Amino acid sequence: MTGTINIDGQNIPFEEGQTIIEAATAAGVYIPHLCHQPGYTPHGSCKLCTVKVNGRNCSACTFPAADGQTVINNSAEQELDRRRITQMLFVEGNHFCPSCEKSGNCQLQGVAYHLNMLDNHYPHFFENREMDASHPDILIDHNRCIFCNLCVRASQQKDGKNVFGIAGRGINKRLIVNSPSGQLKDSDIDINDSAVHICPTGALLIKRTGYQVPIGQRIYDHKHISEVALAQENDNGQD
Amino acid sequence: MYEHLETAQNPANLKRVVVDPVSRVEGHGKVTLLLDENNKVQQARLHIVEFRGFEKFIQGRPYWELPVLVQRLCGICPVSHHLAAAKAIDQLVGVDPDKLPPAADKLRRLLHFGQVLQSHALHFFHLSSPDLLFGFESDISKRNIIAVLADYPDIGLQGVKLRKYGQEVIRMVSGKRVHGTGAIAGGMNKALSKEERDYLLRDVDQIIAWADASVALIKKVHTANLPYYDDFATIRSNYLGLIKPSGALEFYHGGIRAKNDAGETLVDHFDYCNYTDLIHEEVRSWSYMKFPYLTSIGKEDGWYRVGPLARVNNCDFIDTPLAEAARADFKQHSPEAMVHSTLAFHWARLIELLHCAESIKTLLHDPDIMSSELVAKGEKRYEGIGVIEAPRGTLFHHYQVDENDIVTKANLIVSTTSNNMGMNESVRQVAAEYLSGQELTEPLLNNLEVAIRAYDPCLSCATHAVGKMPLQLELVDAQGDTIDRLVRHSDGSFEH
Amino acid sequence: MMAKIKVATTSLAGCFGCHMSFLDLDERLVALAEVAEFDRSPITDIEHCGPCDIGLIEGGVCNSENVHVLREFRKNCKILVAVGACAINGGLPAMRNHISLEDCLLEAYRDGIGVENAQIPSDPELPLLLDKVHPIHEIVKIDYFLPGCPPSADVFWTFLTALLEGREPSFPYELVHYD
Repeated sequence: MTGTINIDGQNIPFEEGQTIIEAATAAGVYIPHLCHQPGYTPHGSCKLCTVKVNGRNCSACTFPAADGQTVINNSAEQELDRRRITQMLFVEGNHFCPSCEKSGNCQLQGVAYHLNMLDNHYPHFFENREMDASHPDILIDHNRCIFCNLCVRASQQKDGKNVFGIAGRGINKRLIVNSPSGQLKDSDIDINDSAVHICPTGALLIKRTGYQVPIGQRIYDHKHISEVALAQENDNGQD
Repeated sequence: MYEHLETAQNPANLKRVVVDPVSRVEGHGKVTLLLDENNKVQQARLHIVEFRGFEKFIQGRPYWELPVLVQRLCGICPVSHHLAAAKAIDQLVGVDPDKLPPAADKLRRLLHFGQVLQSHALHFFHLSSPDLLFGFESDISKRNIIAVLADYPDIGLQGVKLRKYGQEVIRMVSGKRVHGTGAIAGGMNKALSKEERDYLLRDVDQIIAWADASVALIKKVHTANLPYYDDFATIRSNYLGLIKPSGALEFYHGGIRAKNDAGETLVDHFDYCNYTDLIHEEVRSWSYMKFPYLTSIGKEDGWYRVGPLARVNNCDFIDTPLAEAARADFKQHSPEAMVHSTLAFHWARLIELLHCAESIKTLLHDPDIMSSELVAKGEKRYEGIGVIEAPRGTLFHHYQVDENDIVTKANLIVSTTSNNMGMNESVRQVAAEYLSGQELTEPLLNNLEVAIRAYDPCLSCATHAVGKMPLQLELVDAQGDTIDRLVRHSDGSFEH
Repeated sequence: MMAKIKVATTSLAGCFGCHMSFLDLDERLVALAEVAEFDRSPITDIEHCGPCDIGLIEGGVCNSENVHVLREFRKNCKILVAVGACAINGGLPAMRNHISLEDCLLEAYRDGIGVENAQIPSDPELPLLLDKVHPIHEIVKIDYFLPGCPPSADVFWTFLTALLEGREPSFPYELVHYD
């Protein structure tokens, strides 16, 4: 079955089984997102892709497209909601962009730029979060984890492993490592695993590679995340 | 010399005058004077009032973040912190200074010449020139760069453009004017493109000409006011800084040379990796800035000055022609082996600015800066020490890491810390010789700041603390209002 | 001639990088001086912030004096602007926030390499340190935010020219960054 949905006045075709975000991406319409990546089971946790479908708020990454849907993606209300959500992500973790090696290549930052987020609005938590530097080549900086679950899914779905998990609830939520010691060095992760390369922020990094891309040549220095994401995700869809 | 004015015998009976904050310097500092009933100065101190704790919170971070992280100590000389940290982390990846690829070495030097040039221009034109052009006790409305631009548009605008050029050198090499990236462990992340090189070459001759003119300007100002300029805030001290193997002036890499006030060499070509044998730092209760001294001489007399005056005093020559001619001229004006005049810091600073401009031109004509061989690798080590001549003087970065690449210990001695005692002594000299016994007015108090400004203090760096500025003047009885207090117990713990 | 707008600036727990970036206006400083005059600022010697149109604040709040100065600015400035990462979210100095202040002080003044006469500076002349570094919007109301570490000179220019022309400031994509 195929059909048509309408996003912000534009008719967009979809195929059976597609979510709203998949149909939108294929048609070149960007819906902001962090926890969604083509090829991975939808997770619906970051809520950035919230759109109004026939008047109700839904996550575009989990909601199936259905013929005749009216979707509002870009409205002042939607933008404010998304900015507030992003601000919450910033104050909940410890995102010190000025010294972060992911700066310029970070999707969280890219989304914030896209949303014209100029401040953090909420009081900062300044939580004490740890770092796991035990692995010789891979680093986890929990300060920057936004619990998008992408490394968890990548490890399971692409790498055929089960290195990561999310434990706890609310403010006790944390990324955990499936190893006897709980440390990354004792897990079966490999530097070539998809899980190592999928982090949208600077939480999961390859060691000793930071700052090698000069300022001005980083992904989001000149290009909007909308442009970058649409190009990448449509490329990925084709292979 | 003026140490007796550091601590008054009977503070409770004295009235307190405060200059808070010291303005047109970088960072937060204040000066307090305690005066007796005849307005005689009994105590004078420069306090550094902020604290940031970088040495602690960078522990636990991976070492490759250091050059980008620690440059946030200072917005005026971020490049110096960036490069000192880079030199330290070079060692962590087993790359000694002579093993750095020529392109990386030259790009870092270019970056640093840009830094010293812009900082010296900023310091002289934007911050200090109002005092020198309008007079130390001139009207408050005149004492800023805007007034200089209005009344001396040629000088003001040349200063602005000199600084701009240094900032553009920094931007071309590191991607941003303030807090760029560039240096990575073992090298650099980018070479200069031909377009970038040509862009910088376009103005370099004009910049050299303006730099040369600025040396002539300071010489005119200084010599027109002799002997006042030679006496004001002047103290005798030891001098310390890096030096090239040839004995030439050096900013990026070399051994440590120290001379005493008579010009006798105390140490020469000393390997800075052993700096802990050379220097210790004393804590005093009334300042967040520590007091370093040469251990061989001891706490009392081992303090030293760093920065332009120390470097120009210490070096045997400068390896660019115009700056060398200026140096010879500068040295000739002093009857002694060492120039001790504190206001001569400005003169030495502008000689260095000229040297930077000339050196930038030389480097821009070197094809290595466009080479793609930018990074060297070596065997991992666990300790790295990087020392550089920042605009304000010798800057030490010292890190230890664990087997997981995480920083476990950090020690930073920033340039201005080394000038702490010098600044305090200069403040006391001015207080004793120029203020004592007088009715203190705002313009008169500016003399204290003129003395501090000569050092170009980077108070922000100095306590790994932060800055703010302007000027507040109040007179209170010392028995009255104590502001905020931090109580320290004998075991080292503290409470508010 | 129209009265000049009054601008005051200060750096709290910052590094002066934002002020440097402001000076990166270069020749545009001359044009700015035609329409604006500076009150309290690191580049002038004016002691206290008087009534001003615009106050630019660099740096977060790390001690009692910062709080005092920030409140003085809020009281006197019609428009108060948080400039740079430190003012907006504490910036890198806030990396000490999960460490006790005591540990930070002991590291610098007792446990450091080559430290003599170990003691924590305690003179009443030194302002009281706060246990955490705070973004300034947690202390006073802020009217505008200029992100960046530091915001570029073009950000300052875009912002000030918009205000001078009575427009609501807005920034093109390339001017919004956090590093």
